[in-house]
Amino acid sequence: MKGWRGLAVGAAALAVAVAGCGTSSDGGSGNSGEPKTLTVWLMDGSAPTTLTDALNKEFQDAHPGVTVKYEVQKWNGIQEKLTTALTSNNPPDVIELGNTQTAKFAAEETLLDLSGDVSGLNGDQWLSGLEDSLTWDGKQYGMPFYAANRTVIYRTDLFEAAGVTAAPKSRDEWISAIEKLKAANAADPEFQPLYLPGQSWYALLSFIWDEGGDVAKPQGSAWAGALDTPQAKAGLEFYKKLVDTSGTKAPKDADEATPQQMEVFATGKVGMMIGLPWELAGAVKANPELKEKTSAFPIPSKTSGKTAPVFLGGSNLAIPAGSKNADLAKEYLKLLSSKKYQDMLAEGGAVPGTSTDTAKLATTPLGKALAESAPNGKVTPTTPSWAAVESGQNPLKDMLTAYLTGAKPLDQASADANTALSKTLGG
Amino acid sequence: MTAVHTTDAAVPTNNSSAPRRAAPGGAPRRRGSTFDRLLPYLLLAPALVAILWLIGWPVLSVLVTSFRKLNLRELTRGEVVWTGLDNYTEILGDPAFWVIAVRTVVFTALVVLVSVLAGLLIALLMRQISTGVRIVLQVAMLLAWAMPLLAATTVYQWIFDQQYGILNKTLVKVGFDSFAGYSWFSTGTSTLAVTGLLIVWQAIPFLAFSLYAGAIGIPKDQYEAAGIDGASTWQTFRAVTWPELKPLLLMVTFLSMLWDFKVFTQIWAMRKGGPDGGSTTLPVYQYLEGISKSHFGVAAAVSVVMVALLALLTVQYLRRLVRSQEGEL
Repeated sequence: MKGWRGLAVGAAALAVAVAGCGTSSDGGSGNSGEPKTLTVWLMDGSAPTTLTDALNKEFQDAHPGVTVKYEVQKWNGIQEKLTTALTSNNPPDVIELGNTQTAKFAAEETLLDLSGDVSGLNGDQWLSGLEDSLTWDGKQYGMPFYAANRTVIYRTDLFEAAGVTAAPKSRDEWISAIEKLKAANAADPEFQPLYLPGQSWYALLSFIWDEGGDVAKPQGSAWAGALDTPQAKAGLEFYKKLVDTSGTKAPKDADEATPQQMEVFATGKVGMMIGLPWELAGAVKANPELKEKTSAFPIPSKTSGKTAPVFLGGSNLAIPAGSKNADLAKEYLKLLSSKKYQDMLAEGGAVPGTSTDTAKLATTPLGKALAESAPNGKVTPTTPSWAAVESGQNPLKDMLTAYLTGAKPLDQASADANTALSKTLGG
Repeated sequence: MTAVHTTDAAVPTNNSSAPRRAAPGGAPRRRGSTFDRLLPYLLLAPALVAILWLIGWPVLSVLVTSFRKLNLRELTRGEVVWTGLDNYTEILGDPAFWVIAVRTVVFTALVVLVSVLAGLLIALLMRQISTGVRIVLQVAMLLAWAMPLLAATTVYQWIFDQQYGILNKTLVKVGFDSFAGYSWFSTGTSTLAVTGLLIVWQAIPFLAFSLYAGAIGIPKDQYEAAGIDGASTWQTFRAVTWPELKPLLLMVTFLSMLWDFKVFTQIWAMRKGGPDGGSTTLPVYQYLEGISKSHFGVAAAVSVVMVALLALLTVQYLRRLVRSQEGEL
């Protein structure tokens, strides 16, 4: 009867803690030639199987007696799974971490400090946005894996029909493209020039950064919200301008995942969406006709000709502090950081983490847009408490909904969100 | 409650086994009687250990955890950091906690009240209607009951959706034009109202079935007697139905309070306790502290406070329960 969630959490936490106390008796026996297993956890959908198959084979051939135990993990619930795995006696040797989650694990010293190995891991070519996300207290706790960012995915046929000849290169051109699309399709009440749900906060980040603002600023050892700055407010205003100009029918109190915006895009009644590469792939899968009719351009800046900074979503690779095969794991990372495998990542449609050569990526219009904007990529505040913002109640989402629906004026919405954000980041 | 059953079982076992063994034996009486006295306890021991391990240990570990600083760092390194009452002063000193606590209590009270009342009305209704209609009603309720929590929550989200929801569309069709594009999730109160409706909807089948089972157990002749005496419907209810149903009603109210107080899934799935934390209840707060922020010690302290609060709310019923057990024994 007392089967409370909290009891369960507490009990589980304690059980894990007790298990963590157990001594690792067989650790550190470094007899070479002894058969070893290198456990590698990569995430669902991150690296193409052609890459991992080749990588694991090459690694095993180079290290006789070593077996690579390659396991694919699901994103859903990964934070809890990693917490449990990292506290266990026998953690995996290589793990993939979402870049916004890395700080949380690095700050708690659950990951191996790789500062001394950076140069051996192609360190001079690391993607700066990802490097920021894995650096904690001046030390590197991982290696960038790959990144992807949002671009504006659009329908080439509708653009042509509306008389928009070139992809927009500034905010003004973007707005006028929306207006032209709207005018050209005025007969269809279902049509939306730009699909933009009210809580697409990664898109908002772009606008705020483009204005020179930020979500939060470091203040001593802690972070304080910066959502009430004029720059952040200007970013919000532009978001509203996009929503209002487009007249999008997307819900104002949900993000791009409810409903999945790629499904809405796939209906064919949408001119543009701000989305990730896999969302275009999903839309094309649902509606194969779109394959030849879609392209992408980087999110335009307010300064004509520049691209707006984008949120760099992606992954880092790290070695758990408790790994028993840390040296082998470093070798594994080293192999993965080589150009051969980085090119394969680019070919798979992602921005490679340890190679600045994106030639293989720029072969498609979407890849080109990705490669163009990725160097200007930024990440959310590198603080362990950021993970709580995303997995808990995200004040940015509440702010957007309150402002867009008119429930609160701009100043109040941003001030409230700032207070809530500072509180979460502070604790 | 399990503990109570155990004592129940222990008493007869003790009484009946002792004389039975004592009668045929003669010589090894002394040793036998000690063994006899111990035997029931030995037989009970495995069950007792299992219960203590399954229920006692988690309760104890939550209590212990609530006095520790247990974040991800301490968890991964197996460190034990005692902080005394820090976790408690932190949550009890947070004004937001008290807002959430009051909100949780009010929400629980309203949901329990509405669901028990609705369950009672349906139970009484089921006695009055013809068999065919009743079976249809029962099947419908069974289906509602069998629906997975998250599936039901999703359906409710769609019903109340701002743009595509059937509710807003219907209201506009009926003539309430102001509901076009009306957002049911714009404030914490309205979000909780929708969530509460969902919880009531899910709770009614169990309540109605339980109370119906109680209601059909009331002898028909009591109603006939009341009818002969010329009692009105309300008087019949007061004098016949109410006294018979009262113990059952108390029990289902008690159970509902436990269930509704700790509701998490529906509230979280609906709007994550938003907007602006406006529909955050204690279980959601606990999740935010424990899982989102990985402050397991603080979350454990919240659980302890929740248990205390719940005990406070149900103390009347618990006292009654304990007293009636004593009377029976």
